[in-house]
Amino acid sequence: MNRKARFAIAAFLLAGAVGYLMYSGIRQAAVYYLTIDEFLAKKESLANEGIRVAGRVELGSVTKRMTPVGEELNFRLGDFRTDGAAGPAVPVHFIGVTPDMFKAAGGSDVIVEGKYRDGTLYAQSLLTSCPSKYEAEAGK
Amino acid sequence: MVDIGSLALTIAWVLALYAALMSLAGAYWRKRDFIASAEHALLAVWGLVTIAGATLLHALVTHDFNLEYVAHYSSSTLPLPYTIAALWGGQSGSLLFWLMILTSMGAVVLLQNRECNRELMPYVNAVLMLIAFFFLSMLNFVTPPFQRLAFTPAEGQDLNPLLQNYWMTIHPPALYLGYVGCAVPFAFAIGALVTGKLGDAWIRTTRRWTLLAWFFLSMGNLFGAQWAYLVLGWGGYWAWDPVENAAFMPWLTCTAFLHSVMIQEKKNMLKIWNIVLVILTFALTIFGTFLTRSGVISSVHSFTQSGLGPFFMIFLGVTLAVSVALLIWRLPQLKSENELDSVLSRESTFLLNNLVLVGIAFAVFWGTVFPVISEAVRGIKITVGPPFFNKVNAPLGLTLLFLTGVGPVIAWRRASARNLERNFLLPVSLGLLGGIVLFSAGIRHYSAVLSFALCIFVLATIAMEFYRGIRARQAMLGENPATALLRLISKNRRRYGGYIIHIGVVMMFLGITGTSAFKEEKQITLKPGESFTMGGDTLRYDGVTAHETTHIAYLTASIAVFRNGLQIDTLRPEKRFYKKPQQPTTEVAIRSRPSADLYLVLGSYDEASKMATIQAYINPLVSWLWWGGVVLVIGTAVTIVPSRAPARAPAYAPSRGGQTVAAD
Repeated sequence: MNRKARFAIAAFLLAGAVGYLMYSGIRQAAVYYLTIDEFLAKKESLANEGIRVAGRVELGSVTKRMTPVGEELNFRLGDFRTDGAAGPAVPVHFIGVTPDMFKAAGGSDVIVEGKYRDGTLYAQSLLTSCPSKYEAEAGK
Repeated sequence: MVDIGSLALTIAWVLALYAALMSLAGAYWRKRDFIASAEHALLAVWGLVTIAGATLLHALVTHDFNLEYVAHYSSSTLPLPYTIAALWGGQSGSLLFWLMILTSMGAVVLLQNRECNRELMPYVNAVLMLIAFFFLSMLNFVTPPFQRLAFTPAEGQDLNPLLQNYWMTIHPPALYLGYVGCAVPFAFAIGALVTGKLGDAWIRTTRRWTLLAWFFLSMGNLFGAQWAYLVLGWGGYWAWDPVENAAFMPWLTCTAFLHSVMIQEKKNMLKIWNIVLVILTFALTIFGTFLTRSGVISSVHSFTQSGLGPFFMIFLGVTLAVSVALLIWRLPQLKSENELDSVLSRESTFLLNNLVLVGIAFAVFWGTVFPVISEAVRGIKITVGPPFFNKVNAPLGLTLLFLTGVGPVIAWRRASARNLERNFLLPVSLGLLGGIVLFSAGIRHYSAVLSFALCIFVLATIAMEFYRGIRARQAMLGENPATALLRLISKNRRRYGGYIIHIGVVMMFLGITGTSAFKEEKQITLKPGESFTMGGDTLRYDGVTAHETTHIAYLTASIAVFRNGLQIDTLRPEKRFYKKPQQPTTEVAIRSRPSADLYLVLGSYDEASKMATIQAYINPLVSWLWWGGVVLVIGTAVTIVPSRAPARAPAYAPSRGGQTVAAD
């Protein structure tokens, strides 16, 4: 019995260690994943939190500039509308390498990861959701 | 031509169900002719699915753009190898390809075993045919590959440029072979549960299948990592993306299974655990196939929602429910015949290794599905990125590395102080020494120092095993060292093949440690002629040149690498523009050396000013990861090829101070 108990304790300790690692890992690495509508609704409460926002780049809102540390992009991230009109949006600032699929005219669907403060979303990374690996875009 | 394909799939659908039911009925009522009929049906399904696959391949190669699939995933200018790869480049094609592998393996398993495993085989056939039936249902009713268009487009939309890469053409076949290979031990496990033949017969029969599946899973993961490294252009090879995790999780449980079966074979223990692992592995392969197609979890590789999701969930649920029910029903017969004697023993080490592997799989699973869970529980999607996975898996991975050194050499049952001293004093000392040397050399990244020290420790234990084996043969048989080494390996393939695989794993750990601890990156915008320094070298940007073919337009930057004032290399990162899908991609340039890779990406390029943004990365030791993969291939080949000597006869088994050396 004693032996069994010892193995049980060892397994318990291991499970505890894994559990603790996962718990603290999630606390550190959690990033809120929001659509642009969800973000706009509660952006002030999310200031300085790690967030990922999915939205569509507003047509004609993109400005680009080369800087010594990469390309500077400023654009407005709006909702997934197709009429091209300017709706509710948040200004996004990004310096880095513009993804291949990012359209300079706007209209790309992107995921912006970064922090929101003082009315601007400062992007650390900018991902374009690429057309699926397995299926062409719907309606094509 | 195309109608043959869809007709073949329809007939195969009927026959797969027939084969499964006849197999079960034949086994239940002990009707030999039922079983024989089911076996013929299984072979017919294999033939029909192969015909369907060949039909689709023919349509691709002959550019039959009237077929929706061909029009979507290829074009007339697509090079032939990628045209063939388009067979698994799209949703329905990839499922068809999955099925081709499954039925082929089913046919081979049948031909191999129908004489020697009469009791198990009907159930094995039935399980494989039920899986095939599920995939055939998807192909017949949800995503049919032979859909015609109302008109014939003049040109196809081309294969996604990101998939037009050598590694990406071989990555899916390797992964599918691994995924599908896991179905074979699963089918045998179910057969064992149903028939009550719960000894290790099913494990011995499927040992090579499991190893093969594991091998292809390893390769699938490595090819995928290699592809990400070369094509995605972010300087890394692994991002803990849900799709990557989907391929990694079954590998983890399969690795655990490969180790724990040894305990069942030797000690008749862990029977329940082994069945649980094999069920889990198969379920994870289905989960992986599901994850990459359902769009449930958003991934950088964003997948279209395709209506397949619910069917896969149901299939997964039914599979798990039936398997677990059978397992619970057989629990009384699965009691261990032995118990663990001591914490310091090979059994315990293997068990711990299993728990760590499953722990990693669980953490990866949790991190992957966390957005779904958090949305269900708290109403807000929370994702956990790479920091979560790295933080959780680094300590677990290092524990695993440590156990890789301990497991193969610690004594069975109970390790004596003498056994420990004999096997571990030298390796531990060498590991500690290595750690101290690295520390005094100024490396203050503690987990990296620990990892390197553990690598030394593991290599030392393996080297000692080889050394002792060679010395024993030299002493007993008077062979020269080279002959002794070759014979040592060929007479104990499983054992020494395993050691070689472990060497490959250690090399991978070196690569992973190097890149995760000492990676450097820089991003800079330059005018032609301007330079920057990276890792001690000077890199000069010499402008961009353009050229094009009918398929692709290229922008190629030229970057000269100088060391100590001398030019040592010229690297040419590219931007490509694929004309058919109108899609740009990035082609990285790499100068690879054992110590580090210099990895350059042409980020942005401004035509007017000729200025370019260059991303530069130094990835220390990364090539060890790939070479570790090569060693792993060699080790697996050694292990899997049958010994010419009778399998169970130990080549030598001298008793050493009460410890018997296992022959395999």
